[in-house]
Amino acid sequence: MSQQREVAIVGVHATKQQRNSGRSALALIQEATNAALDDAGLKMKDVDGYIAFTFEGGNGSGVNEGNIAHQFGQPIAFTAQISGAYAVQMAAGAIKQGYADVVVIPAAGSTTLGGGKAASYTRPEYEFTEWTGSMTPAQFAIIARRHMHEYGTTIEQMAEVASRIQHNGNINPEAVLFGRAADTPEKVLNAPMIAEPFTRAMCSLVNDGASCIVVTSAERAKDCRHDPIWVLGGAMENRATSYFEAPTLDMMNSRDKMLRGFQRAGIRHEDTDIVMCYDHFAHGPIVQMETLGFCKPGEGGHYVPEVMGLDSKHPICPDGGNLSYSHNMIPYNFKQIEIVRQFRNDVPDLCPEGHKGIHTYDRRICRKVRDPKLAVGAGPMTEGRHGFVLLAKD
Amino acid sequence: MEAPMLIPPYPVPSNLSQPFWDGTRRGKFLLQKCGACGAYRWTPQWLCTKCHSLDFAWVEASGDAKVYSFSVVHRPPLPGFKAPYVVATVELAEGPMMLTNIVDCDPKDVKIDMKVKVTFDKVSDEISLYKFRPA
Repeated sequence: MSQQREVAIVGVHATKQQRNSGRSALALIQEATNAALDDAGLKMKDVDGYIAFTFEGGNGSGVNEGNIAHQFGQPIAFTAQISGAYAVQMAAGAIKQGYADVVVIPAAGSTTLGGGKAASYTRPEYEFTEWTGSMTPAQFAIIARRHMHEYGTTIEQMAEVASRIQHNGNINPEAVLFGRAADTPEKVLNAPMIAEPFTRAMCSLVNDGASCIVVTSAERAKDCRHDPIWVLGGAMENRATSYFEAPTLDMMNSRDKMLRGFQRAGIRHEDTDIVMCYDHFAHGPIVQMETLGFCKPGEGGHYVPEVMGLDSKHPICPDGGNLSYSHNMIPYNFKQIEIVRQFRNDVPDLCPEGHKGIHTYDRRICRKVRDPKLAVGAGPMTEGRHGFVLLAKD
Repeated sequence: MEAPMLIPPYPVPSNLSQPFWDGTRRGKFLLQKCGACGAYRWTPQWLCTKCHSLDFAWVEASGDAKVYSFSVVHRPPLPGFKAPYVVATVELAEGPMMLTNIVDCDPKDVKIDMKVKVTFDKVSDEISLYKFRPA
């Protein structure tokens, strides 16, 4: 099947990701939306599609599709409540179908003021979950331990995965753990134990921040500020709601659906460069690379550390991921945003002239991937929801 | 100033789940059984997750299960939990998977595939929690 270049990401923005920003999710999300539109060279008046998880906040109304139209002072034609790879695919579908021309995909979380207070969505007041004391690491620790049991995956392999991602965050000045990340397997394993087998350095952050992605048609993209980043396809499959059903390895049964996503787009796994896994916990990239079809079920423990390096076949999370760059409670857009920034050579790191796009490729200071052209942005990709999007530059 | 809540958050039954919690209060472990295909399900649902029939009854289950996987929690997410404690997914003898705690044993002794049995932990006049102990 031929690759379709009909819809593109044309604008992205991430606000400063930090702990205790003192700002509300509503303020952060508006900042990100305006900045992403500016990045695209578009205006709010161009927007007729809006995809975001809703949340309470602001002056009693928060963010939902009705009052966002009111806040923007204009009608919004297409809306949906999701984020990340799912949202990019929905935006692409809506644009191809003619429901909208310009879709914004904002997301924000703040531990300080509204909109995901203390990761409220991971703490549902649910009668069969909350009293077990499983929020949130234990939920995923159960899955990691089952993967170890069934396939012989080791804690050392998971620590290797976490430390390689954290190394990237350690040299990313925009990362919450910049300069402080656990960038060796030993540091990861020696961090305080949270929920066996996860130490703190194997668990994602909780911080404040916002992001936004702007998606439009090939036609509209011609007038935008940057070269288009093409949305070539992807896949989505839901199986359960995380935190409501008992955690299991059931999500690995989504592998066939993920493989069909690659086939439909006419993309072979071996031709992809960066893979932005959803590294909510250290087992994430291992289980996801298996489920995405990069390797067979059970091979991830060996395979992922071999391919994930910045100079290896499929660099994973060169931004530092959810483990050390940011987990703002709604962190899925960061996966697509990092791909766009790597494609554009907009990669802040410790290279002396990195800000000018001149990188050393000395991996102690440089996290720029060499000439990426095709990438996988995964997430949401947790236990209940599996989705990824394929992105390419010309 | 309001005192911090020092007990874990206790469940609030829904109109669907009320028979289950009525059961645990009386020391009975009830599951929904489909009236059409006979499949058991968990969590409570109006629809059979196998055949989609709306017909069901709450029936007493064996309370037998085995540990599918587990985690020993050292840093509790909220006040009111005394670490270390064990959170587990158990596979009920009737088929469904259930999130619970493993109690009455040293966390170090919990193993995958270990046989466990339901036990009830009365935390209020209305609520008895369902936990599992080594069989």
